[in-house]
Amino acid sequence: MAFISMETIDKSFHQVKVLHQVNLDLGEGEIHALLGENGAGKSTLMNILGGVLQPDSGTIYVNGAPVSMTTPGDSQKLGISFIHQELNVVSDLRVYENMFLGSEIRNKAGFLNVEAMKQKTRDVLSRLGVSLDPSAYVRDLGTSHKQFIEISKALLRDSSVIIMDEPTTALSEHEISRLFELMTTLKESGVSIIYISHKLKEIKAICDRYTVLRDGFIAGTGSLEEEDPESITKMMVGRSVSQERFTREHVPGDEVMRVEDFSKTGLFQGIDFTIREGEIAGFTGLAGDGRTELFEALFGFRKKDSGSLYVHGKKVVVNHPNHALRAGIGLVPRDRKENAVIQDLSIVHNLTLSSLGHFEKNGFITKKQERKAFQRYKNELNIKARDPYASIATLSGGNQQKVVIAKWLEVNADVIIFDNPTQGIDVGAKREIYQHIVSLAEQGKSIIILSSEAPEILKMCEHIYVMYKGEITARLNRDETAEDEIMACATGSKRMVESIG
Amino acid sequence: MKLWPVPQDQKGWWSLLAEPQFEPQQSAEPKTEKRNWLSWLWAEYSVIIAFVIIFVLAAVLNPRFLDINNQLNILMQVSIIGIVSLGMTMVMLSGGIDLSVGSVLAMVGVMSVLALNATGSIMAALIAACAVGSAAGFINGVLISKGKIASFIATLGMMSAARSIALYTADGGSVSGEVNGFSAIANSELGVVDYPIIIFLAMTALVYVLMNYTRFGRYVYAVGSNEKAAVLSTIRVDRVKIAVYSMAGFLVSIAAIIETSRLNSISSSSSGQLYELDAIAAVIIGGTRMTGGRGKVIGTFFGVLILGILNNMMNLMNVSPHLQGFVKGLIIIVAVLFQKRD
Repeated sequence: MAFISMETIDKSFHQVKVLHQVNLDLGEGEIHALLGENGAGKSTLMNILGGVLQPDSGTIYVNGAPVSMTTPGDSQKLGISFIHQELNVVSDLRVYENMFLGSEIRNKAGFLNVEAMKQKTRDVLSRLGVSLDPSAYVRDLGTSHKQFIEISKALLRDSSVIIMDEPTTALSEHEISRLFELMTTLKESGVSIIYISHKLKEIKAICDRYTVLRDGFIAGTGSLEEEDPESITKMMVGRSVSQERFTREHVPGDEVMRVEDFSKTGLFQGIDFTIREGEIAGFTGLAGDGRTELFEALFGFRKKDSGSLYVHGKKVVVNHPNHALRAGIGLVPRDRKENAVIQDLSIVHNLTLSSLGHFEKNGFITKKQERKAFQRYKNELNIKARDPYASIATLSGGNQQKVVIAKWLEVNADVIIFDNPTQGIDVGAKREIYQHIVSLAEQGKSIIILSSEAPEILKMCEHIYVMYKGEITARLNRDETAEDEIMACATGSKRMVESIG
Repeated sequence: MKLWPVPQDQKGWWSLLAEPQFEPQQSAEPKTEKRNWLSWLWAEYSVIIAFVIIFVLAAVLNPRFLDINNQLNILMQVSIIGIVSLGMTMVMLSGGIDLSVGSVLAMVGVMSVLALNATGSIMAALIAACAVGSAAGFINGVLISKGKIASFIATLGMMSAARSIALYTADGGSVSGEVNGFSAIANSELGVVDYPIIIFLAMTALVYVLMNYTRFGRYVYAVGSNEKAAVLSTIRVDRVKIAVYSMAGFLVSIAAIIETSRLNSISSSSSGQLYELDAIAAVIIGGTRMTGGRGKVIGTFFGVLILGILNNMMNLMNVSPHLQGFVKGLIIIVAVLFQKRD
């Protein structure tokens, strides 16, 4: 009998249904892979199991009994631990303090029993095979160690179900194999694990069964033994990935932007590349490869140690994003909510924020011109918004992203850098954004796309740069490469720096 | 239901009357549209509704309240704090706070009287006042944006330093103007309306236009709402902040000129005491969010009037001055309690 089963779960956000009658069964001592593209509904489903979100309808059974979980605390009491992809550690506390945060061990007088907490921390960490000083400050630790602290926290609570949301993105291969050993041990002791990952090879290696979500529907579930990566990929995307490519007749134009020897200690080294008119170039790699930092430096948001930037053959100095704007470079940043969208401003005010000069008359902003621009981009980019003065927070992720893109179109930048452009966007809007990007390139804009998803890069970009630990390890032509080659270069196991023909 | 305004955008309240809120083809459901309109009005401008309630209450409780002289008296009394609050609104919308306004007001007053007496020129006194106040604000702005000091700390330092400069230059006492005509600035009337009221209303209109119809105003809201996104939207955030604090300093100068001219003298020790708290209170009652990005100049205007009416009422009703601070504190707390925060 299933240890946990979620039955006919429905969930909507802002009238958009993200989960349709989803079922999930988890047996005792089972490692269950939860698969799906970004935006397929995996996180929503797991947040429901973690008590963070409430389902609109449907029931969750634990050991056959229906339960209601209205807070994360309820879920924890039932023995469910959720290791989030974004690490929830407090950097200014010590390792053991993080481990016992909220459930500190106290002695009879009510004071903290530091020694006991340290000892328990040491025990748990040694089970993981990690040697770490329990009194070390978390801020001094690397990402992989922080990841282990999160996992240890789940172990400390004697959880019977552990949800792991892409735990291996920040881990080295050695650490991954140790994590897998531990997962096997846990499984043998009866702990069930829900494992969310994009890396199909890992899943094949460690998981027993799988459930695939696509656009909020169950696309398939069963035992992994009968499946191979290709059949699972087909279930995830509903079609064969390699076929879905945006190709176009494209004659490379003149050089628009040249980057020479960009370096910043610890982030990126010796970066050289050239972008031509109408070109779509992609930068990919694993988390922590330095590509975001590189382009933030290029855009003037971050300091660099050395390097020169040429736009249309002329050297430009960029020390502030405003200089980049004047040089004709635009950036659609990652993490839209933190970096791109001003939540308190309306849709139209977000749209015109970087180009207010276009709407000024005698020093005053003319609202009529702003509304005209809103209507124009609303039609051009198919932005689903009624009232230009509504808060941008009322729009869905895809429409917010379109507003951010419109902002840079109004600026009329020659080079537009898209960092993770389809983050948190549903599949339909994703396709639209891809098409807009392609049509921008056709209008002669130079496009740079940063993404950790190799299929996305393959779909969009004719030239692909792979980064590993702050260096470009491969320059590939789309037609002569495949996903596995990109992955090999991104993990550092293959290195092939050669110039693009 | 929001009782105090949590504004969604910076449209003026009269632009509501002048232009349609929605595109015509989309007003398919008039009923919900109308209800939305009302709830929008309530959510956005509830400070005005609160003002009306307090105003009516005051009129009922004391018939002398409605007397035109009393009304003008209220406006006169709030004009100085009102002008300071306008600058404070800009600072708080940008996500900062300015604790130095009271001390800077005293320093500006002392300096302008010294300039007045030394040169015998009223114009020189005005120029000195504006220069000193703006310079103090400029220094605040540079410390905060370039020095990366929290606005609370930087302006706390300025608060202490400016008061000290005022005390030192005036030898701890008051300085009085020795030039005829200087006191006329705050003691003249246009018809029945005193000059300080006119200056306050003019400054409110100026700041309103600045915040709602210029690039600078838009940038202030953006910086206060999300500084990182503002930088990535190519806004020169450091310059915006310096301008905001300089503007606030300039408005303090205007207030200082009125304060000094009113009695033709300024006290280096007591003038401007606790003005920062009254200004912050008015801004908060007016619905501006402490962390910036949301709020309205009009809200602050009515926040100032609410504080003024409360003071006036308590005086008319002979409430002990020792108890007035309690009532004021209560109103601030209630105002913030009712503000819906997200």
